[in-house]
This record gives sequence, C-alpha cells and structure tokens, in this order.
Amino acid sequence: MRNFLLGVDVGGTFTDFVAYDRGQRELTVWKQLSTPKDPTTGILGGLQAIEARAIENLRLGTTVATNAILERKGARVAYVTTRGFRDIPFLQRGHREHHYDSGWIRSRPLVRRRDCHEVDERILADGAVLTALDEAGVREVAARIRAAGDIEAVAVALLFSYVNPVHEQRVREILAAELPGMPISISYDVLPKWKEYERASTTLADAYIKPVLHRYLRDMRGRFDERGITKHVVMIKSNGGEMTLDAAREQPIHLTLSGPTGGVVAAKAIAENLGLSHLVTLDMGGTSTDCSTIVDGSIAFTTSFEIEFGLPVQVPMIDIRTIGAGGGSIAWMDKGGMLRVGPHSAGAQPGPVCYGFGGEHATVTDANLVLGRINPANFLGGSMKLDLPHAEAALARLADPLGMNAEQLALAVSRIVNNNMVGALRTVLIERGFDPRDFALVAFGGAGPLHVSDLMAEAGIPRGVVPVHPGQFSALGFILTDARVDLERTVQMHSRRFDAERATAILKELIATGTANLAEQGYTHHLAVTRTLDLRYLGQNYELEVGIDFDEFTAANTARVWEAFHALHQARFGFHIPNEVIEAITIKCTVVSVAERLDFPTLPASGGSPQPTDRRRAVFEDGGFDTPVYDRAGLRAGDRITGPALVEEAASVTVLRPGYRLEVTAHGHLLVLAPGVEN
Amino acid sequence: MKPVAQMDLVTMNILENTMVSICREMGITLMKTSYSTIFNEALDFTCAIASPNGEMLAVAEFCPAQIGGMPLLIRSCLQEIPVSEIEAGDVLVHNDPYRGGLHTPEHTLFCPVYVDGEIVAFTVAIGHVAEVGGMVPGGFPSEATEIFHEGIRVPPVKIKKRGEDVVEVWKLWLANVRTPRYNYGDMRAMISGVELGSARLAEVVKKYGREVFKTNCSDLMDYAEARMRAELAEIPPGKYSFVDYMDNDGVSDSEIRIEAHCYVRDGTIVVDYSGSTPQVAGPINATLGVAWSAAYNAILHLTDPSIPRNSGCFRPIKVIAPKGTIVNVDYPAPEVGGNTETHPRIAGAVIGALAQAAPQRAMAGEGGTHLNFVFGGHDRRHDEYFACYDIEVVGWGARPFADGNDATDSINGNCRVMPVEVFETRYPWLTEEYTLRPDSGGAGTFRGGLGTSKIYRCLDAEITASQLTDRHQHQAYGLAGGAPGATGMTHYQAAGAREWQTMVEAFRKRSTSKWSNVVFKPGDRVQILTPGGGGYGDPKRRDPALVHEDLADGFISHDTARRVYGVVPKE
Repeated sequence: MRNFLLGVDVGGTFTDFVAYDRGQRELTVWKQLSTPKDPTTGILGGLQAIEARAIENLRLGTTVATNAILERKGARVAYVTTRGFRDIPFLQRGHREHHYDSGWIRSRPLVRRRDCHEVDERILADGAVLTALDEAGVREVAARIRAAGDIEAVAVALLFSYVNPVHEQRVREILAAELPGMPISISYDVLPKWKEYERASTTLADAYIKPVLHRYLRDMRGRFDERGITKHVVMIKSNGGEMTLDAAREQPIHLTLSGPTGGVVAAKAIAENLGLSHLVTLDMGGTSTDCSTIVDGSIAFTTSFEIEFGLPVQVPMIDIRTIGAGGGSIAWMDKGGMLRVGPHSAGAQPGPVCYGFGGEHATVTDANLVLGRINPANFLGGSMKLDLPHAEAALARLADPLGMNAEQLALAVSRIVNNNMVGALRTVLIERGFDPRDFALVAFGGAGPLHVSDLMAEAGIPRGVVPVHPGQFSALGFILTDARVDLERTVQMHSRRFDAERATAILKELIATGTANLAEQGYTHHLAVTRTLDLRYLGQNYELEVGIDFDEFTAANTARVWEAFHALHQARFGFHIPNEVIEAITIKCTVVSVAERLDFPTLPASGGSPQPTDRRRAVFEDGGFDTPVYDRAGLRAGDRITGPALVEEAASVTVLRPGYRLEVTAHGHLLVLAPGVEN
Repeated sequence: MKPVAQMDLVTMNILENTMVSICREMGITLMKTSYSTIFNEALDFTCAIASPNGEMLAVAEFCPAQIGGMPLLIRSCLQEIPVSEIEAGDVLVHNDPYRGGLHTPEHTLFCPVYVDGEIVAFTVAIGHVAEVGGMVPGGFPSEATEIFHEGIRVPPVKIKKRGEDVVEVWKLWLANVRTPRYNYGDMRAMISGVELGSARLAEVVKKYGREVFKTNCSDLMDYAEARMRAELAEIPPGKYSFVDYMDNDGVSDSEIRIEAHCYVRDGTIVVDYSGSTPQVAGPINATLGVAWSAAYNAILHLTDPSIPRNSGCFRPIKVIAPKGTIVNVDYPAPEVGGNTETHPRIAGAVIGALAQAAPQRAMAGEGGTHLNFVFGGHDRRHDEYFACYDIEVVGWGARPFADGNDATDSINGNCRVMPVEVFETRYPWLTEEYTLRPDSGGAGTFRGGLGTSKIYRCLDAEITASQLTDRHQHQAYGLAGGAPGATGMTHYQAAGAREWQTMVEAFRKRSTSKWSNVVFKPGDRVQILTPGGGGYGDPKRRDPALVHEDLADGFISHDTARRVYGVVPKE
C-alpha cells in the first residue's frame, strides 16, 4: 500500500501538487489549473492523480484568507471598544502612502462606522483598572448587534488589554451568552501587543475572514470526506508551521500569508542538506517576486506585515517581501523617455507577447526569449510554442526611440528587472545589516532560475542554488513543515528594576500555552521551545531580539542578557550606549513539534562533464555566445557545467552567465558558483 | 541640459534606485535607534544624498517638509566650513534658521562620501529633535518674539572629527536642552544613519567608478528637469493667483495674508509671493528655505508622482520671496512655526492658484496645521525630565474625483500619530477620547476629509504645555462650489470645572491657537479639535446614495444631509 505525504499550493493560476511516497521514497510533482471561484474543485481535480485512500497527510496552502481581505469579500463585522475610541479603525495612523500623490485614497477599513460600538471601561498603561466594565452596557451593545440583523462576526479590542485582559475576556463571555453562535475575536487572543490601531486592525481582519474560512473549510472537509480523503488534513500558517482545520477556523488570521511560506521552509531544508547557513530566497513568478532570508539556519520572522498600505496584520509570520517584478512584468517608456519595467504585469492573460494570447506589451519573458535564454520550442516541456517574431517586434517598438535594436533593448529590460530585484534583495539583506557575500541565493518559481546568476553578480552574492522542482517549490515546502505556535506578551520592564519573578511567570505561561495549543491539535512529539526577549534602550521604539536558553530569570543570567544586547546593538547599528537603561518590551516563545525529516531521492553519480543536448545563440551582457543547452532530467550527481550554459526543465531554465559554474548535488539541486568561488 | 537621448538610461535608472534604497536604509536606522517619539513613531525626518555642492541627488520617502531647503542648507554650511576642511570620518551638525536652516528643532547632519581621496557626495539626515531648550519644553514657543526664545542655535560644526566624537560640541549642546539623555540618543541615531549611508554609497561609487557616478548624477538631474518641464508645459500658460490667510502670530491679533502668483510659461513656473504680509513679531515667519520648499511641495503634488526627486526637478521652478516678509524672514525674528504652519498655508495658496489652470489635478484646501502640542514635566517613574512634541492630523481637501482623506498629516509632513498606548506609557496623560469630527469636512459633490478630536486629562504630574497651531479662524478653502472645512479649536477645562474655555478665556492668552507654558495639574483637561478639509463641487450634486451612507455612518449629521445636501434622511 502506498502512503503519501501531500503538499498542495493553491495559486492564482495553477494549483501545485507534491506527493512524497514514504514507502518508495519517491517524489512526484504536478500542476492543475486553479479554480479561483471554488478552490476545492481544482484541488480535487488534481487529487484524481493519486488514490485517495493512500493520502496519509495532506498539507494545504491557501490564498482564501488574503483574497477575502483584498477583494473586501469578508463578513459584516461589528467592532466593540473602549468608550471614546470607536474611530480608531478609521483614524489609522495619519500618514500617506506617498509624499506627493494628490490622488491617493486611504485604505478602507474592514468595518463600517455604524457597526462600531463603545463600552464604558478603562484600563491604564500599568494594567490598573480606572473604570470598571459596564456589563449592562455590553448587553446593550449585544442587543444593537442583534438588531442590525446581518452581523456575522464580532471583533473586540479594548485599550491596554495586552497588559490586562480581564475586561476583554468578560466582554467576550457576555457577548457569547447574548449572541449564541456568533464568532468573536478578542485582541488579547489575536495579538496581545501594544499599539491600539495595529492590534484592532489585526483583530478586525481575524473576525472579517472567520465566517468565510468557516464556510470554506467546512465545505472542503465535507468534499474530502466524500472523496475518501479521511486522514490528516492541515493548513499552512503564515509562520510556515501547520495547524489543524479546527485551529484554522478559530484563528484564521494565521492564514494570511499561507502559500509563499512553503518556499522558505523548503529552502531551509535544502540549506541544511547542503551545509549552507545563510540563504536569501527569491521566488519569481509571473507577476511578483517574494524574497526572504534564512540566517544561521533560522527563518526571518516579522510582526509588522501590512496586507495593503495602512492595514496591518501583525501576527508573527515569515518575513517575506514582495515586489512587482515577474516574468509578466511589462517594459514601458516613461514620459521622460526612461525605460522602466513593471510593476504592471501582463499576468497569465493576456500574458507576454510571445504566448500569442493577444498580449501587446513586451515583458521580461519576451526579453528572455529574444536573448535566446528561453527555448521557443521547449516552454513548459514543449506544451506551449512561443512566438519569437512577435516578441522581437514588440521589443523593437520600444527600442527605436532609444536608437537600440530589439536585442539591446531585451538586455536593458533584463538589467532593469534584475536591478529591481536586487533592490528587494537589498531590503532583506543590507537594510537589515547583513553582508550579501555571506549568503547563497536560492532561486525558484518559474522565472527565478533564469535570473539566478545575473542576480548573484549584481547583488554580490557568491553562491546560488536552483533546487529540484523550482516550479512547485512552495508545495514541496509544505511536506517539510513542523507544527508551530508563536506566542508573545508585551511586558515593559527595565534593566534597572527587572522583575525576574514576573518575567519567569510570563515565560512559563507562554510555554505552557504553546505546548497546550499543540497538544489540543494532537502534536505532542518532538517538542522544541525557543525563547526570545525583545530589548531596546529606554527611549527607543524598536527592539532587537536576544535569544535566551533558560526558563527562570536570575540576576546572573539577566546581566548576561543586557551584555548581549549591547553587543548586538553595536553589531547591528555601529554603536552602543554603555550603562544605558535597557527596556524589555516583549517576551516571546515558539513551540515547535518537529516533523520527521524526509529522505529525498538521490541521483546516480557520474562526476563527469555532461553532454549538451543542443546549442543555440544566447545573449549575455558580454555579448552573444554559442551556448550549450542541457536537459536537467539527464544530469547526474557530481556533474559540472561552466557558463555560458542553459539548463532546461519543464518549469524553467537555469541561465548560467559566462564564467559562472554549476555543480549537481546528490539530490539534484544545482549549486551555482560565481567565478573564483569554491564549493 | 543634456538631451535624454544621450544618457545611459539603464545605468542611470539603476543608480537612482540604488541611491534611494541607501536613503531608505539610513531612515530605517534612524527610526530604529532614535529616542524621541517624533522620530521613531511620527517619523519626522528625511534622509538624502547630496552632491558636493549641495544639490539633492536622491531622497527616501519619510518627511517631505525638509527636502526643498536642502541645497540652501548645505551651501550655507560649506560657506563656513569649506569642502577642503571636511575629512573622512567627519560628521557635521547644524540647525540655525539664519544659516539656511528651517527652524531650530530641525537638525541637519551630514557626512562626506570619500572615494579615492575625493568627496563625491554627502549623505544627509534632517530630523526634528523634540527638545531644543528655549522658553518652552518641546520646542514650539508660540509666544516667542526673537530667535533666541526658540532654543539653542547650532551653526555648522563638526560633532565627529575623523571618526571621533568632538566632546566639547556634545557637552555644549546637551547642556542647553531639558532632556539630554533623549537628545543624545537622537543625535547618535542620526550620526549612525549618515555614516552608514556614506559607507554604502562609497561602495557603489567604487563599483561604477567616480566618473560614471558623476556623469549619471548630472544626467539624473537633467532628466528630472526634463520631466518637470514636460509636466509644466501641459499647464496652460498664464498668471494664476490665490490668497489665503493665517489667524494671527500669537503675540498680536492681526490676520496674516499669504499671496501666491504663479506665472506659467514654456515649461517653467515663477512663484511670486509679493503682496504677502511683512514679517511679524510672533514665531510664524518662514525662512527662505521654507518658502522654496512650500512651492516645490505644491508643484510636486500636482505633477506626476514618478518624477525622480532631486534638485533637477526644481530647476524649472523660480521662487520670488521678498525679504523681510512672512515668507522670507530677517534676523533675529522668531520663526519656529514657519516650517510647520506657514509652509502648508503657502503650499495651499500655490495649489489654489494652479487649480485654476489645471482643474483636473486640483485639490481643495487641507487642514494645514500639525497642531504642534508640546509639553514637558518631571516623570516620577523614571525620575527624569520628559518632553514631547505631539502632532495631530487634519482633514484633507476633496478632489474632482474623490472625497478628501480623513485624519491625515498636513501636506508638509507625512508623520504618524502616536498610538494612545505608546503615549500613555510614556507620558502622564490619560486620553479620554480620540474621534473623527462629524460634519467637519467641507460639503461638496466630493466632501472634504474630517478633522479629529482628542481629549487629554492630566493624570498624576504637573505638565507644562504649549501649542502652536492655526486655522481656528480661517477655514480650509473649498473649490468649484465646494464648502470650506470646519475650523479647529483648543479647549481647556480645569479639574472639577464643568465649563470648557478657550486659552484666551482661561489664561488671557492673545491667541486661542498659539499659547505657551500653561501648567496642567492632575484632573485638568485639554481638547484639541483639528480642522477639516475643503469640499469640491456643488454639494447639491453629490450622489444621494453617498449622502445616505455618510449619514448612516455618522460622518455627517441629519441637519447637514437635509440643509446642505438637500437629501431627506431615510427613517
């Protein structure tokens, strides 16, 4: 009997499938057209490829939550808050997206003002109760919510609830009693962290998508059951961990960045496999590119995500930066005659000119075709023929006013889109204090391998990796995820008067909560706990994370923590302030149930120089070269290739610049090396 | 001006993106390491790269107020400290409004970028330091009558020399402010930012070579100039004029007139402020740098947002600001509010003038004040003095295609309001209310944005507060038949009293909007009402469905719906 571990990534155009057969240790990948109106149909269509009963474990990445917010198709939500503050979702923070754009229109909140209600209560910054909760007032609010008739969920965010949640918890009790069956999100559960707008926005988003996810997950579970897929089905969280469907229903906010996390998780696994500790990932698709980092083997996380400008969703998630640069990005001339690329994309429809679906604007893919980097006869494994003459004509139209030819313009397009991506790489590396020379670039997505060696050269990154199955890499990551819970609590204590007893109690409570949360979902094995303090100088507003390895705070170990902070500040910002008071803002803990490590298939060894299957002219910055073309499926472990070279596979092409080399690893990943760099 | 066809547009595009990215990285360092909330929550700072002669090459989007004055500012510094005396590892600081600065709280730091022994650029950080000494805590002495009331003036000096702190300068500066620990932290943050930018840019210039860098910087400015000329050429030639008013200067009652006459011809524009009020006794005079910035700011709002932000795009813009007037003040008059209050009024006048020429790009008047509520006192919890510069936000003007944005920082800033939970954690105030002000947006086919209301109650300390704001008497203008926005107001209520009073009634101040050093005791309250934006178009032509929605959400009252919009509310 076969026994599949299955990763499914539902994207805008394709749903990607990766199946790992535990018995045979075989990996199979495939794609199915997505069905955006009803994603489950596309999933079930793709699952026909394997026997339902053999699916032991299915892990699903979804964009349902994100789309509900972006398209404003969530629930009608009521908002309950402290007297005097019902306008917080509308006031937001008061800044504009750009300095000088008189056309800018502020993001619309996820709630209408008529559905915002106030209750009498007030807690102070130190947690003391200034005004007791008016319980009768809460019941009146419940009556108004009922009277509105079509409220589908309630979000509660009271001032300073992250310090003292008693009022918020009591409001939930009363509302639950008054409004049976109504989904209720309280900010202390969703995001127990200071800054009322950011917490309210996150809590509102949770409530806003809850009914949508309820319906979606119930429908999907039912149809899976009908199909005989009865075993473990889990969702991928924005933190790259997995959660059960029941947990997803309770806290759907953790699904906002579900899909793209898979690639980062998969990259981390590969890094371990290859012995690389610092990675920067680049997932380049048709419309956008996602970048993230892995430093010292650890994925970078953020709590300052905005789903659109001014709409923060600040639960902990993998720190992925997205820019509008992809294969479909359109090249255009601005009013001053400067060539620009993106952020507008031709998307999948009409797509690049060369697709022949009616696209008229030259795109990055058209440029890559004209440069000979893409084979017009072997795109998507030959299932789609590309129209080279039309692509050339479209590029020539842009080239004429600049006195260039189509090929020169294609090279310019390539350089500009590369520079746009280098900008994104810079934001995740240099802007966070990292040196690109210490990193390896993991490039995937349909377009990532085309740009890998150019980006290494432009960004000063010495090593690159094109993993196996770059086109289904996120889904591959899903079968490698752990169950993971990230918890944090704002504490605000000082190095001068540090309350070790309170800190210890909070840390232990967080660990217990995280452990219990995983246990409720059935994860009790291989638990690993990490503990972190967010620290800053008294007066600063942003923290640096210092890891700790104890549960019990003592005078001696806290002194070491302060030392570590000074050193980290020096390393990160180039200065530290000796003897300054240090504030501890947040205590954080992560509890992970570590999944079994999978044994991926290896390639037979050869160690020689593989034979090209073809040759064609390809253009690089140094000029046109008669370039050997290799079929990736024919490569063996240990094979070495020196650029210029092209390595073709169904989902992509790896472009190797002149002077760059690649080696095929035991598992079939392509390790790309800049000139002079040794493995 | 070099023809665009002769430029290496690809390299230029790449260099521009790289420089903007470096500026952003500088800004993130400032945000993350600074101490004052005006820096790290409000983000009232700018990071830029300037050429050796002070022209701005690139800037990141933080606070726009500061960018127009930058060339003047750096050139003034270089007159006193010539380039030949600036060594690698030096960091210069400067805040003097009478040496090209904008106002005393705004500190400019810059650092040379040395490549092969030559200065190829400067990295620049301009940041608002909350406490600068002077007659009130928090830097906005609204009753000042000379520059010396407005805090310590720092002429261009080196605060670091060849990588080492100049201890004497630090000592002198920190001895003159009320919150030395905070000032120290903010200064370190700015130094860290410019040093980091300098190191990054040096690597970039080495990679491309000095000559390629210089050529492309020059081309980049020519290119921005060409873009701006093309935009201005689309405006029908002619003279367009507009007048707006400020309430008073805080020490006398007379209103202040701001005139803007825009002469548009052949892709150029002359902005002439002749006819504006002579300089006044109180602190709302603008320096020449502010007058330049305001004209640039207005024109950038009305042109294509993708024009690169560098000194080149300012070349087709000429500013005439007669000396000794409200828009070009003479020593030693006070001017701290010129940069926050007079700037938006000047910019609004320029926009009002150009709205006649390019109505499709027009925007009605915005609230045009940062509310500038400043205070200080002794913090018992940390046993040290605190000072805070708190900004509030206003309604923005409606446009021919959309309502004005509610609760948005005035045009010359792009600051964030401090969260209540951060504010109360740091300062002994209790916020009792923070709401939108229904009906404060000017009525129109498109409605002006709403202002806000905030009530603070003094908790358990003695707090000395001041305010320098405007638009308590003169409203933000409407356009094309749209109504003006509501005025703002500040109210005071003594502990135990029921009455709310203006500061004139309560403390016999000359102005409701500009008052200094009022001492709040536990239980005393202040309410800050911020102005709304102007409307666009005849209110009777507003889509009735939108009126019903506004009514259901309480953005307008029943009375307004009926009387102003002619819509009968549904039951």
